[in-house]
Amino acid sequence: MDRRTFLAYNAAAAVPLSGAGVAYAETLGAGPAGNGPTIDFKSNLPAKGSFPDKWICGSSSLMDNTDPPWQVHWYNEHTAILRQNKAYSYEAPFAPLYFGNDRILLLDEGFVQLRNDCDLRGIVDATIEEWCARNGKNPAAMELLVAFSHLHADHYAAVNQFADRPNTRYMGLTHEEMVGFWGMTNFPEERVTLDLGGREVLIWGSPGHVVSEFAYYDSYTQILYTGDMFYRGRCYISFWDIWFDSMKRLIDFVDTHPVTHVMGCHVEISNDDVDYPYGLTYQPDEAPVEMTVQQLRDTFEFAKTVTEPGIYFTGTVFLCNETRSTTTIDKYPYRYS
Amino acid sequence: MPQSQSTNTEVVGHSQMAAGRTYPNGNPDAGFNPPGVKNTDSAVPPQPRSRVVHDYACDGPAPGRIAFRWTYGSNVAAKNNDPRVQVMQYNEDTFILRQNVCVHWEAPFTYLLFGNKGALLIDNGATANPAHYPLRETVDAIIARWAKARGRTSVPLTLAMTSGEDIAQNQGLAQFAGRPNTTIVPTPLAAMKDFYGLLGSWPNGTATIELGDRAITVIPTPGAHKDGVSFYDPYCDFLFTGDILFPGKINIGNDRDFVTSLERLKAFAAANPVKWIMGGHIEMMFVPGKYYPRFATYKPYERLLEMEPYLIDEAITYAREVQGKDMILIRPDFVLLNGVSPDQRTREWPEGVPNIAPPRPF
Repeated sequence: MDRRTFLAYNAAAAVPLSGAGVAYAETLGAGPAGNGPTIDFKSNLPAKGSFPDKWICGSSSLMDNTDPPWQVHWYNEHTAILRQNKAYSYEAPFAPLYFGNDRILLLDEGFVQLRNDCDLRGIVDATIEEWCARNGKNPAAMELLVAFSHLHADHYAAVNQFADRPNTRYMGLTHEEMVGFWGMTNFPEERVTLDLGGREVLIWGSPGHVVSEFAYYDSYTQILYTGDMFYRGRCYISFWDIWFDSMKRLIDFVDTHPVTHVMGCHVEISNDDVDYPYGLTYQPDEAPVEMTVQQLRDTFEFAKTVTEPGIYFTGTVFLCNETRSTTTIDKYPYRYS
Repeated sequence: MPQSQSTNTEVVGHSQMAAGRTYPNGNPDAGFNPPGVKNTDSAVPPQPRSRVVHDYACDGPAPGRIAFRWTYGSNVAAKNNDPRVQVMQYNEDTFILRQNVCVHWEAPFTYLLFGNKGALLIDNGATANPAHYPLRETVDAIIARWAKARGRTSVPLTLAMTSGEDIAQNQGLAQFAGRPNTTIVPTPLAAMKDFYGLLGSWPNGTATIELGDRAITVIPTPGAHKDGVSFYDPYCDFLFTGDILFPGKINIGNDRDFVTSLERLKAFAAANPVKWIMGGHIEMMFVPGKYYPRFATYKPYERLLEMEPYLIDEAITYAREVQGKDMILIRPDFVLLNGVSPDQRTREWPEGVPNIAPPRPF
C-alpha cells in the first residue's frame, strides 16, 4: 500500500469515528457478534486501575541490565502501559495500549527502530494475545491502530515493525498524514472521537512542543495522555504561544470532563524534584509518570507568569521556554574559584 | 620390511600393527589430552632464569603502537558483548586500558606503565563494582604476566590519578584497597601535595614517581579539577593529561588556573620531547568539531585518542578567548566549556573548519 492509497483509504471510509466506526467494523466481519463476548466499557466509570510503585529505570552498568526491553504494566484488565528500558534507549518513553471490543490503540512506539534490537512488535503481539485469551477474543479479528503522540523519533521509531502486521493501520510520518489519520480538518481545535468498540478515545490537537502533536483522553480509564507537551520532566516548548493555547484547551477539557490522571511520555525528574539530565540512563529515584489534574492547573497558573525564554520549575515540571541551546539545568560540578 | 628409525609407530601406527588399523588423522580413543602434555604457556615470552633489567634509554620515543580501534559501545547498550576492560598493549612496558562504554558512558582510559622497580597505574575508571568493571583483576593479570616475562616475583604498584576528585577516574580505587605491595596516592588535595612533596611548590614545582630507570614526572595542572595533575613518561614521550586536555568537551573548573596550567604544559613540552598527549576520554567524532553528547553509549565514529603536542598552543589560544566568559567554544579537536552546563550547545561554528555532518547510526 503506497502512501497515497493509504491516505485515501483513511479519508474515504476507514476512520472509525463514533457511529460510523461500528458500521465499518461490521464490514470487516470483526463486529462484536463475531468476536467473543462484548465488554462493557461504559459503566462504573472511571475504570479502576493502578500504576506500579516503581517502573524499570535503567541501571548503573547498562550491559549488566537484566530488565526486559519493555516493561508491560496492566493498569487494569483492559489497559496496558508499556515503558521502554533505558538500556535500550535513554528516552525510555511510555506507551499506553488501550483495548476495545473491536480494535486496539497503541500510542507511541519507542526509540529503537530495528526489531532485532528491541522487539516492540513481538511484545505488543504477545500482550494482545494475552488480553484476547483472557477475554475470549480472536486476535486476528482485532484491528490494531499504531499511532503516536507527536512527530518525534523517540515516539515513532518502531512504527515500521508493524508494517507487515495484518489488520493493522499505522500513522504516517508527516503532519498531513497524522491529522488525516484521525480525520481532522480543523487542527488543533477539532476534537474527534475514536471508537475502539464500546470504548471511546477523544483526540485533539496539542501543539507547542512540536506542531504535530495530539492529546488523547481515554473515556474508560479517564487518563489524559499529554505526550511531550506536558510531562514529569523538561517540557521543551518550541513555540510558547501555541503551547499556551494548547494548555488552555487542556484546562477547558479538565473543566468539563472527569480526569483521573494526567500522563506524559517520559519521566526526567526525581521524587525530590532533582532534574535527571538529558540522556541519563539510570534514574533510581524517579518520580511517578502520572500527574494530577491539580498539577496541570498549577502549571497553567505558573505559565501565565512566564514572559521570557528560559527554564522554569513549576513545582511539577520544568518549562523550557524556547531554550533550544540548553537541554539541562546542571552545571559542571567541579567548578572552583 | 625394515622399519624407518624416524617413524614413531606408537604414535602414528602402520598397517602391520596388531590392531591392523592406521590413524592418519589421529586416534580419537587416545584422548585429547594425553599425559605428558603440559601447559607450555606459549603466549608468554620465554621465561628468563633471572631478573631481566630493561634498558629504558632510547633515542626518541620508545616504539609502540595502538594496533586496534577502541571499543565504542553499541546501539542497544543492554546487548553489548565487548570486554568490560579493553587492554591495548602499546609496547612491552606500556598498557592502555579502556572502560567499556556500556559499563559507564565516560569510558575513561587508564594507563599502566612498568619500570625496572615497579608499575604505575594512572587513573582507575568510573565504576567501583568489580563484577561490572574488573579493573583490579585485569591489572593483576597484566602484572603477573609481565612479572613472569621479566623474571620478577613481585612488582610494586603505585596508583595515581590525574584528578583524585573526579568520579569518572577514581572509582576503581576501592578494588585495590588492601592489595599487597601497593601505594595509593591519597586523594585529598593537601595529602596528595604532601605525597608528591609539592606542599611548598604547588602548582609550579614538579615531582617524580620513580619506576626504576623510568622516572615519571608529575606536573600540577589544576584547571579542570582543583587537584588536577598531568604525568610525563620519558620512555614513550607521552603526556597524560586527564581532563585538562583531551579530545572532547573540556569543562573548565577555573579559567585562570586552566590557562596557567596549559602554559605550564607548553613550557614542559618545549623542554622535553612529547610524542602524544594522552587524555582521559574521547568525546569528539572523527569529523572536526563534532562530538558525542553526554551519556552516549554508542560512539562508533570516535576521534583518535592521541593528540599532537601542537594542540597545547591551540588550547592556550582559545582558553584565553573563553577566559572570564560563560561560553562554549568549538575547535576541531576539542570543545571548551567555561561556566556553562555540560550540555550547553552553540550555533557558533569555528571559521575555516569544514562543517561535515557525521554519519548517523539507527
